[in-house]
Amino acid sequence: MNDTYDVSGPLPGGVLDELPPGTNVAVIGPTMSGKRDVALQLLATGYETDEGILCITTDSAVTICNELERHVDALDRGRVGIIDTSGNDGQELLNAMTENVSSPSDLTGISIGAAKLSQQFKSRGVTDLRYGLISISTLLQYMSSKKVFKFLHVYTKRISSTGALGIYTLNTDSHDPQVVNTMIGLFDGIVELRESETGESEFRVRGFGRKPTSWERF
Amino acid sequence: MTDHDKPVILVAEDERSVAEGYELWLGGQYEVRLAYDGREALETIDDSVDVVLLDRMMPKLSGEQVLGVIRERGIDCPVVMVTAVEPDFDVIEMGFDAYITKPPERQELLDTIEQLLDRTTASDTLQEYHSLMARKGALQTQKTEEELAGSNAYQNLLERIETKRAAADENLGDMGSDIGFVSAIRDLEDDDFGDTGLDAADDFDDIELDDESAFDEAEDDE
Repeated sequence: MNDTYDVSGPLPGGVLDELPPGTNVAVIGPTMSGKRDVALQLLATGYETDEGILCITTDSAVTICNELERHVDALDRGRVGIIDTSGNDGQELLNAMTENVSSPSDLTGISIGAAKLSQQFKSRGVTDLRYGLISISTLLQYMSSKKVFKFLHVYTKRISSTGALGIYTLNTDSHDPQVVNTMIGLFDGIVELRESETGESEFRVRGFGRKPTSWERF
Repeated sequence: MTDHDKPVILVAEDERSVAEGYELWLGGQYEVRLAYDGREALETIDDSVDVVLLDRMMPKLSGEQVLGVIRERGIDCPVVMVTAVEPDFDVIEMGFDAYITKPPERQELLDTIEQLLDRTTASDTLQEYHSLMARKGALQTQKTEEELAGSNAYQNLLERIETKRAAADENLGDMGSDIGFVSAIRDLEDDDFGDTGLDAADDFDDIELDDESAFDEAEDDE
């Protein structure tokens, strides 16, 4: 088991280098601020050191695998599991185990998929897992924020009690600010992204029991 | 629960001596009802039952079939499969809330039942936790950090949130367990059945920080 998860890739300047097992991190920001890319990099960072990736996606499994492959040499079916909630007929992938769920609102289906994949990882001796959920915003289009909140509370607890690392994305400009604040409260920390007035990508880090950082450029 | 206030446990087990053994273990803390096959279990079960122990292999109806009928009738109490063989993943998919391998240890049986009884309240506790967190979220959008830091009512809200979160986690139990995790998610889906509303968002307009009642209502406004 990992003592810590290396997260030093995506954010420059040593702002966030490692996180303890059981940590849940949300990557948030407005549309087109690069959340998805940062989240995928966070998921992929430990891949070369034999960690596993278990990702719930509201897009197709193929899409997310293609995106992950931009950050790793090659995906190995034994260490990547995707829960595809897009409702498409899932095709068998060569580079990932997949579980198909009919809709993002099928929370029981999602939880069964996650439990199945985690058993697969266990039987293959993959003990360090990064869980992705991309994205919370899509779940919020299908269910009330109350239901999504309750689901995420249980889900984050699953991750903290199994010593994994959880990575989530949330679009800040597609929901009521109150809903965004309520959801943020579920996580140990937040990586917040924005585009500055001059068009530069910036980030800051809040939570994790530390002082918030100021906005910095990538 | 019944008037006696003791939780009711229905034990469905075809071997009488085994069933009576469970009754001996459980009888002190719970009201135990015995059924010696699947059909009897279905005749005995009603809304007053709090937890069902179902033997997997029984004459007439299997544990799985009994579970199916229980759910069809809209009875949503937790159901434990008692099985002689280490079960496959299918037990989770069938919808059992826990399993115990035969022969169970006394303490294991008691702990499993206690945890499932706790979990039946988890969804309500989560509801209250959400309500408090939504209130916090609303205040954060309406007030500055300085205003919040200087508010006793806000500090009080934060404390209540911590207490409620701890209670919710306690009720959920070990989410590292595959079957426990799936069962907990299934419970909250069942409870929100019909809640397809895309946001029946709580209305938190114009909360005043000096208005203590704005905080006190948190648990009642669902």
